Amino acid sequence: MPNAEARRTKPGPLEFVEIERSFLREVGSVFWFIVNTFQETMERVQQGRAPFRAASFFRESVRAGVDSVPLVGLVCFFLGLTMALLTGYQLQRFGTERLIPGLVAITFTRELGPLITGIMVAARIGAAFTAELGTMQVNEEVEAVEAMGIGPLRFLAAPRMLALFLLTPCLSTVSNLAAVFASSLVCKVYFSIAFPYFLDLVKDSLLIRDIITGILKSFMFGLLIASIACYRGLTVKGGAAGVGTNTTSSVVTAITTVIGFDTVYNVIYTNFYPT
Amino acid sequence: MVELRDVHMQFEQKQVLEGVSLEVQPQERLVIMGQSGSGKSTILRLILGILRADSGSIFFKQFEINRLSRRKLQQVRQHIGMVYQYSALLSSLTVRENVALPLEELTDKSPSEIDKIVDEKLELVGMLDTRDLLPDELSGGMRKRVALARGLVLDPELILLDEPSAGLDPVIATVVDELIISLTEKTKATSITVTHEMESAFRIATRMAMLYEGKIIEEGEPKEFKQSKNPVVAQFLSGSTEGPILEGSLDAITKK
Repeated sequence: MPNAEARRTKPGPLEFVEIERSFLREVGSVFWFIVNTFQETMERVQQGRAPFRAASFFRESVRAGVDSVPLVGLVCFFLGLTMALLTGYQLQRFGTERLIPGLVAITFTRELGPLITGIMVAARIGAAFTAELGTMQVNEEVEAVEAMGIGPLRFLAAPRMLALFLLTPCLSTVSNLAAVFASSLVCKVYFSIAFPYFLDLVKDSLLIRDIITGILKSFMFGLLIASIACYRGLTVKGGAAGVGTNTTSSVVTAITTVIGFDTVYNVIYTNFYPT
Repeated sequence: MVELRDVHMQFEQKQVLEGVSLEVQPQERLVIMGQSGSGKSTILRLILGILRADSGSIFFKQFEINRLSRRKLQQVRQHIGMVYQYSALLSSLTVRENVALPLEELTDKSPSEIDKIVDEKLELVGMLDTRDLLPDELSGGMRKRVALARGLVLDPELILLDEPSAGLDPVIATVVDELIISLTEKTKATSITVTHEMESAFRIATRMAMLYEGKIIEEGEPKEFKQSKNPVVAQFLSGSTEGPILEGSLDAITKK
């Protein structure tokens, strides 16, 4: 009997195939969602008309970007503080505490800044996009927009996607600055590194390439988070419970995708530019 | 104006439409009646091209809806106004913005022209003084009237109404019904209304159709409908529990 029980609970190869299929289906759906949104928006531009309302774009930008500054800034400030402090004490044992500024600046600019920003944007804004569009879907508002002959993708998804695409790099920059500023405080207070010297060390160690890498990554994170959030919102089924399920799923998928994409990006990048 | 030819539609396991054929003439007010879940609203969504039929053809004027490209379908939809059962007003926009939305998005009219048309339509439905309110601040009947104004704002040739008087008190239901009659007459529009509210149906209709078990089982003028010999239609109109509609399921209901 225990064997029979084990056979029942252990997923068989067919179940793995099904999981794999559903994963690929989801990836394909999000990809086509991005393509269709872009196509619908461009069709509108070709007609010589504004693709969506400027007010709608600015509203989403304020919500996704400006309103996220305190959260992103504060979290990265604390992380920068902690990182400088903990690495500083280790480096001090070897007399190399002057490496702290470069270490924090490079780590945040290339990796942690965009990644932490991506995760926080996915949790804060991705969830809001999904819940909002999901509620509109449940209340037939999305269908009403479609029924009027207005493309719901360009009208509802495109301004959100563009806002997040453009503002995630800005937030990422804010997070980098907050972390570097926090580490400069630690360097001053604990390791007697004055601000001008701190800045010189940062400038010496940070390459333009590091900054570009981080910014490029952030653009992609913004696009992925917004696409997943809008896609999940517009495909809500099953009323209020469906909105809840899709919002959770949107956040989980977006965070996983951000981390997964970051890994793939790093692997490819380090293969082409090993230093 | 609208023609459905042998339309079949299935949702997962449930066959909703099993060969629906229907023709709607210009300036006609057709009311489709049927039980809840019989597929009445599905017919409206098929005409709008929001759902695609499994088989059969749907025509709006010379256009075969299920063969149109997305772009062409969006253009065709601009000639059709839809009023939803629960109004489906955009909750983040004011009444004025809701009514102005199709004009702003689909026409090249100037803001002052748009304002004039919006005020005109809101006045027609008696909602001009609510133009700056949000949908949440309106009652169900008021929302229906705003939805009607939005549905009419592009002067559509065809208006689709999904349960226009459901959930309203009898007085407001009559107001909405009479508004539908006067507005369709004034704009010379054709309308298709789906409802299971008898009083509302007989008030609005110039022609009626009964949808039962996925098929149109009876069509005719309201007068003919009232005298129908079809047992399903007769039971539906009388609201009796005895007859073919509840056959088999009545025992299960009463036992519960």
